[in-house]
Amino acid sequence: MTNLNVVGKSVLRQDAYDKVVGGKGFPVNVSLPGMLHGKMLRSPYPHARILSIDTSRAEKLPGVKAVMTPKDVPQIIFSPIFFMPADSMAIHRDMLILSDTVRFAGQPVAAVAATTAAIAEQALSLIDVEYEELPAVFDPEEAMKDGAPEIHAGVKNNIRATPSFGAGDVEQGFKEADYVFEGTYETQRVHTCYMEPRVCVSDTDSSGHITIYSSIAHLFGLRERLAYALGLPVSKVTVIQAPYIGGSFGSKLDLAYIEALSALLSAKTKKPVRLEHTRYEDFICNARHPMKVHLKTGVKKDGTITARYASTLCDTSAYSAHGPEVIMVHAYFGLMLGYRAPHTKWEGTVVYTNNMPGGAFRGYGAPQAAFAVESQIDEICEKLGFDPIEFRLKNTPRQGDPHPFNPEWKLGGYALDQCLHKGAERMGWANRAKAGSASGTKKRGIGMAAHPIWVSGCVGFPDIYEHSGAIIRLNVDGTAYLSSATMDIGSGQNTTLCQIAAEELGLKFESVRLAPGNTDNLPFDAPTHASRVTYSSGNAVKVAAADAKKNLLEVAAIVMEANAADLEVRDGMISVKGAPARAMSVADVVKRAESPFMVVGAEGPTPTTLKEKGTIMGISSVAPPANASPAVAEFVEVEVDTETGQVKILRAVYAHDLGRVVNPAAAQGQVEGGLQQGIGYALMEKMLFDPDTGACLTSDFLDYKMPTAVEMPSKIECIFIESNEPTGPYGAKSLSEACLIVPAPAIANAIYNAIGVRFHSLPITPEKILAALGKL
Amino acid sequence: MALVKLKEFCVPDTPEQVDACVDKYGENALILAGGSFIHGLEARGLLSEVEALIDIRKLGFAGVAATAEGLRIGAMTTFAQLEQAPGLGRAPWLGALKDALTYPPMQIKNAATVGGCLAAACPFFDIPTALLALDCKLSTSKAGSKREMDLADLFSGLFENSLAPGELIAEVKLNKPAGRAASAFIKLEGTANDLAIVNAAAFIAVDGAGQCQSARVTLGGGVGDNAVRSTSAEKVLLGQKLTEELLQRAADAVEQDIQPMADHRASAAYRLAMAKVFTKRALSQALSRLN
Amino acid sequence: MKQLISLEVNGDVHEIAVEADATLLSVLRDNLELIGTKRGCDSGGCGCCTVHVDGKAMYSCMMYAVSAQGRKITTIEGLGTEERIDPMQEAFVKEGAVQCGYCTCGMIMTAKQLLHDNPHPSEDEIRHGIAGNLCRCTGYHKIVEAIKTAAGNGLPHMKGQ
Repeated sequence: MTNLNVVGKSVLRQDAYDKVVGGKGFPVNVSLPGMLHGKMLRSPYPHARILSIDTSRAEKLPGVKAVMTPKDVPQIIFSPIFFMPADSMAIHRDMLILSDTVRFAGQPVAAVAATTAAIAEQALSLIDVEYEELPAVFDPEEAMKDGAPEIHAGVKNNIRATPSFGAGDVEQGFKEADYVFEGTYETQRVHTCYMEPRVCVSDTDSSGHITIYSSIAHLFGLRERLAYALGLPVSKVTVIQAPYIGGSFGSKLDLAYIEALSALLSAKTKKPVRLEHTRYEDFICNARHPMKVHLKTGVKKDGTITARYASTLCDTSAYSAHGPEVIMVHAYFGLMLGYRAPHTKWEGTVVYTNNMPGGAFRGYGAPQAAFAVESQIDEICEKLGFDPIEFRLKNTPRQGDPHPFNPEWKLGGYALDQCLHKGAERMGWANRAKAGSASGTKKRGIGMAAHPIWVSGCVGFPDIYEHSGAIIRLNVDGTAYLSSATMDIGSGQNTTLCQIAAEELGLKFESVRLAPGNTDNLPFDAPTHASRVTYSSGNAVKVAAADAKKNLLEVAAIVMEANAADLEVRDGMISVKGAPARAMSVADVVKRAESPFMVVGAEGPTPTTLKEKGTIMGISSVAPPANASPAVAEFVEVEVDTETGQVKILRAVYAHDLGRVVNPAAAQGQVEGGLQQGIGYALMEKMLFDPDTGACLTSDFLDYKMPTAVEMPSKIECIFIESNEPTGPYGAKSLSEACLIVPAPAIANAIYNAIGVRFHSLPITPEKILAALGKL
Repeated sequence: MALVKLKEFCVPDTPEQVDACVDKYGENALILAGGSFIHGLEARGLLSEVEALIDIRKLGFAGVAATAEGLRIGAMTTFAQLEQAPGLGRAPWLGALKDALTYPPMQIKNAATVGGCLAAACPFFDIPTALLALDCKLSTSKAGSKREMDLADLFSGLFENSLAPGELIAEVKLNKPAGRAASAFIKLEGTANDLAIVNAAAFIAVDGAGQCQSARVTLGGGVGDNAVRSTSAEKVLLGQKLTEELLQRAADAVEQDIQPMADHRASAAYRLAMAKVFTKRALSQALSRLN
Repeated sequence: MKQLISLEVNGDVHEIAVEADATLLSVLRDNLELIGTKRGCDSGGCGCCTVHVDGKAMYSCMMYAVSAQGRKITTIEGLGTEERIDPMQEAFVKEGAVQCGYCTCGMIMTAKQLLHDNPHPSEDEIRHGIAGNLCRCTGYHKIVEAIKTAAGNGLPHMKGQ
């Protein structure tokens, strides 16, 4: 691998100094003159029809400037997902901004804009809504039964979709197996818990043009979706790019009610209108889809898998939204692609219930799948005496193989074997004790999980946006501005892109700055999701930077009287290869290009030619050529207190082939953060609702427990393997979602190793452990 | 979420001013000490009728003093102030209080007051369980009158105390036991920033022969409307030499005195099992401090 | 009905008209436009709103503005000097402890008091010290490293309060 100057270094994030002294850039800080404040009235019933809404008392409250109900808003049916076209045939549209039919407890039914948030809140209590309560159903299996309440008209048994795929003949495959393993694995609804609330400010001008600031992960997605829901052309909406937002993890990939309502209230009042979620509203905005997976695997004595069958029940809740999409990613990239079998079949059912909407959450269906797959492999290996590392290596792809999803792609850089071997060695995997053999009341165990095939972006997915653009402009002081519609949600996307740009241009990292723009002046980029930014947006940045560099060297060639092909750029200096003394700074070359036609220097006036003139820029709008798969394995050591059921995570070793590390410290940060979410997913997090009313019982941090610093292990080791992916910028491919796909099954398997009890549902709470040990 | 009916925020200088505000708003006046639990209650809609807040921090009730009789804690002493008070010392008999003070996060310790914590009558708090295991008396104050009560008499139900309107806890008095004694407190929480699922405190005093001459076993969390004493557990211990086996029997006996509840944090069965485990752990810790 | 209060924040005294139930957090952000202190929840569960009140870390969302009168409030904007940021802030940057940054200011304010009270905390004491501050991005790992670094560099941790 070539030595690089900027990529591969733990450069400090550009926005870190701003964030430690206050953080000016968060959308939550946006305030415009004359701004009004909005609040939403939410239904207390999970399923109801609105018979009437009387807003007259609310409208009379001093300070109230507008009140909206379903009759006041466009009734365009939409899907909220940002990353697919609004009119896509691959998704289902069934949401309204405000509807006469309520399908989940907390669905907004009206909105108010007032001079203060307190007045807006007060006005909500003055809106009189007459509801006709309808029977509700919260369990997806109940929802599918005949006679269950119909949640969307005409959708029989509330079944939104029943996708399936397969190859070969699974029945035959199971006949050929020496052993068949079967199990059902259930996962729960959890929340992303981003710390910056969803918040937006909309402003309209006299032509009805909307400008919107929002804490979201996709600028162009908000533009398209908002325009669609309001019945406007996209050119009527401008989305302002914040320098960064306070976390997303997938939750901010949808149009939320606040954006549509703030735009409408702003249009009506002719003032800017701000809406900010309370933490309760954030909790019920969207969540990871709970799934029930039935998995059946046929295995030969020699460890070869002969057949794999799986079925998934996915609760898509009150609206279709991500459900039908999540289940496909879950099925392909979660369940089926990673482990090879000649005979495969998968069947899925996506069901409506009156639960809060489902959304996107880091991993997008794969964490649910990995819990099933990696738990069952652990069972298979233990029962048949296989080495879990060798069993995985026997049934997974290798470097150079065709990609299991699309044989036209090759696994050009792929090192699952190194992930498994190096991770195992670092953890001391070979020394782990037999399951359940530990003595004493506090029992230790080691477990592992892998994920062989995942994504870097969305190339290959039907109807999902996957192209990125970038513009690079060089400045007279030798710095460069990068314009990219990528949203920095906290993982350091801006820094990564600036590193790639700096590397390609030959500038120091400090010389490249991401200059935020808006959807009027930026080229399109797909969202910050699907682990795509380094691989996809980074690729576009590299292409734009190469373009800028080419233009720079063309001008430099004229000014330095050399051949462009003989010039190189390093640390902001352009020099002739092999003759470093003949050098000129990038700044001077750019200054020359940006200068007037006659440059007056010490020697007198010097003419400049047309060929040297003009702003030096580079532009790109490209899609990556493939979808490169990372590989990952995690090893975890736990200690189970068999008196209380409490589980302590002692140590984690995470091995990941990400092609090339762009920023080691940032990469470690992804692993460490992913482990926090994974520990929460495995051991404690679960959204709970009243079984009768559907009201959320865990809508603040007092009740929704996620790990604090105390619950984290002090030893988290990262092994980054650089397989040099040919299709990625500088060989890089993805990292971030995999960090949350493997922790939960690794922990579940570690618990099994500690106490000899296996769990088929998450979270594995202390109570569940005690009950399984027969102590309750 | 706003206190939608709030009309007035009083910061009285004297107990008479407290009374004036209470007379005006009656039941809808809320005494504000540290204020560290008020938003939790507010977010759950439990304070929608509050019309007045009365911030009592100007009334004093501060300071921690170690005397020959024991420890006197001003009601407005914050957890942090108490934790750092020299008077708290190293005496084993105060172990339960010291233990309870280690659990809350820093921000809560700096705001929460001992008096406010007790007056909240919240079963999920820690200080009530710990103090109930010690010989604890309260002095209360209302304009023109004072009275003393046992801590146990303060609690009259879930989030309900027996104070008259405008009556404030002025001082918490912990009486030092005679002879060899030690106490301990332990909490079961979901994470390090959580209310108690179950908590337990134990106080034991032994005579010259090493036999238990007095014992108090208390529990909190979701095992009753308020912190409870398990006299059944105490009966097992009294007059006996304290062995691990005896402590286990005492811990098992708490079942007779508690009513574990089921909620989204835990089932009743889990709380019951943990009440025993944590009582045993508290007793063992107290015993180890005796030696 | 608003009342006029006088608040001392970062050494400056402000006269502000506030509603009776205005929290210190809302006054800092909305009235004084000190946007470094943040709202992450509504019930004192996340720590993003942590400030110092008379040198003690507290949740500003849980303190009423009226109650804050007569007390010295320090926000993140009050740390450091004109010449340099606080060593704790520097440590957070250098150790990679800042990702989305939303929890960062509250975390720093808590960490400042932690080191003031306990200049050389063990790792366990650090983790318990920040248990009242939630983070969803970093897994706390580099935050703990940053606090260790700040503890190790021997620089004073609290500007005179």
